[in-house]
Amino acid sequence: MMQQAQVKNDHARAVLQRTVQNIILYILLTCVGIVTVFPFLWVFFTSFKGPTDAIYSVPPQLIPHDPTFANYIRVWNFLPVGRFFINSIVVTMSVVALNTLFTSLAAYPLAKMKFKGSNAIFYLLLVTYIVPPALTAIPSYILAVRVFHYYDHIQAAIFPYLATVFNIFLLRQAYKGVPDDLIDAGRVDGASELRIWWNIVIPIIRPSLATVAIITFVEQWNNFFWPSLMLPTMTNKTLQVGLVALQGAFVSDSRGTAAGVVMTVVPMIIFFLVLQKQFIRGLTGAVKG
Amino acid sequence: MTKKFSLTPYLFLVPALVAIAIFVVYPIFAVIYYSFTDYSIVTPPVWVGLSNYTWLIHDSTFWLALEHSFIYLLVTPILIVLSVILAIVVNRKLPGIQAFRALFFIPVISGSIAVGIAWRLMLDTNGIINAMLLSVGILKEPMQWLAEPRLTLPFCMALTIWLGVGYYMMIFLAGLQNIPEELYDAALLDGCSSWQKHWYVSIPGLRPQITFVAVISSLAALQVFNEIFTLTGGLGGLLQSGYTVVFYLWQEAFRLEHAGKASAIAMVLLIITLAFSIINIRLLESGTEAD
Repeated sequence: MMQQAQVKNDHARAVLQRTVQNIILYILLTCVGIVTVFPFLWVFFTSFKGPTDAIYSVPPQLIPHDPTFANYIRVWNFLPVGRFFINSIVVTMSVVALNTLFTSLAAYPLAKMKFKGSNAIFYLLLVTYIVPPALTAIPSYILAVRVFHYYDHIQAAIFPYLATVFNIFLLRQAYKGVPDDLIDAGRVDGASELRIWWNIVIPIIRPSLATVAIITFVEQWNNFFWPSLMLPTMTNKTLQVGLVALQGAFVSDSRGTAAGVVMTVVPMIIFFLVLQKQFIRGLTGAVKG
Repeated sequence: MTKKFSLTPYLFLVPALVAIAIFVVYPIFAVIYYSFTDYSIVTPPVWVGLSNYTWLIHDSTFWLALEHSFIYLLVTPILIVLSVILAIVVNRKLPGIQAFRALFFIPVISGSIAVGIAWRLMLDTNGIINAMLLSVGILKEPMQWLAEPRLTLPFCMALTIWLGVGYYMMIFLAGLQNIPEELYDAALLDGCSSWQKHWYVSIPGLRPQITFVAVISSLAALQVFNEIFTLTGGLGGLLQSGYTVVFYLWQEAFRLEHAGKASAIAMVLLIITLAFSIINIRLLESGTEAD
């Protein structure tokens, strides 16, 4: 009896301890959650504030009393926001499509074929992986102006990203997981290497292709450094570059700037919330290997 | 072993290799050359020997930028500690934990420019931060947060951490989920408390992820630009308090069109990142040997 009571007591204590622990954890999670959400919430509410709603007051006012779309309309009328969107979509989609195609082609022989120079190419790629983008920007800028003549054209934001070493390595790792027997079976049947690659191998590595596509998508949508150098004309800017222009033009207009921030961020957040699992797996799954 | 020569692998490689050759390999050599020239982009480069490098050595702004870039590396240990703790917390099977994981990940995909601009608005003299601190009585007068040279780098670093912590948390979470449950059971049997078990099991188990995060976050920190650009409004902060190596490079190359000087800065940056990568790879190798 005594022992039973002891066990019961221990059990109750463990449950209590666990509950207390969980409460502490929830408090911690909520604090981090507030720090995470607050800038978004604040920008969101500010973007809907009317002229009578204070941006700055003590104590602060967060929620607009007089919500309005006027800030969005003002920004939309003042800057070619529609063009920013189209340009961002064109750049992002072109890079995602072409980069995924080029890197998935290039990674295949590096993983599955024996050929002269394969090691040399592999190590060359490894070295180029760490070259800072700020370094390559200098000659790329000069190339854009002098050689390719695409300075201030949308192609300038696309071409330098046609192939990225990181994606090649990621896909090379994925191809390594494909059984050689499958590829050999294709060869015995007399299929061309391109056909084997497209019909047999690509379907197997589809999850990794999704990873590459998502990484590239997020990177390109948020890319700023290079497009900001290449796209000076207002109608050629991407969203991120346009947003900085907006900030410059709306320096004393927090409501308008906030509206610009919301327009830039919201599509990506919606996309993320819809494809949450794929995003998280894609962006962090690249670590393995 | 007599394999007949086949063009196929090269054909697969050509599109990507051409792109990389033009946009990465060629630029390395071009930058090496430019760094020995006086080049204003408009007029052709003129060979000047080592003078860009001697200019750099005597340029106090460059040393300041270099110092700032190394100070910026402090984000790496902070990010690791915060994201490991968060990963351990969100690894608990609590109701609603999935929602928290997703929430913490949102800054990662939001983009540093938009978020940086939002932060700048919040930190404005007439911003919400001042309003909140004044209303609870922490401040007596509004602060000009972003006009305070001592605070430029800390604010940029805070932004970097805020943007990155969710990403690294997810990496550590994946690592934690690969640690076998038996190790925790054994630790509990050995008398570890539930907090101690993380010190003795989780942290050693996360070693590969910690090394990985150290590598990528320190390389990113050395090359920080967007956070500086947005929070200082493209000016690099009062008294150059936000100048980092990449910011200075950008300023020289694209604001002042000193491609030669900027190339010399780029060479220094390349050597630093190369050295860092080698050190990191060594650490990575020694880490896997120990396991």
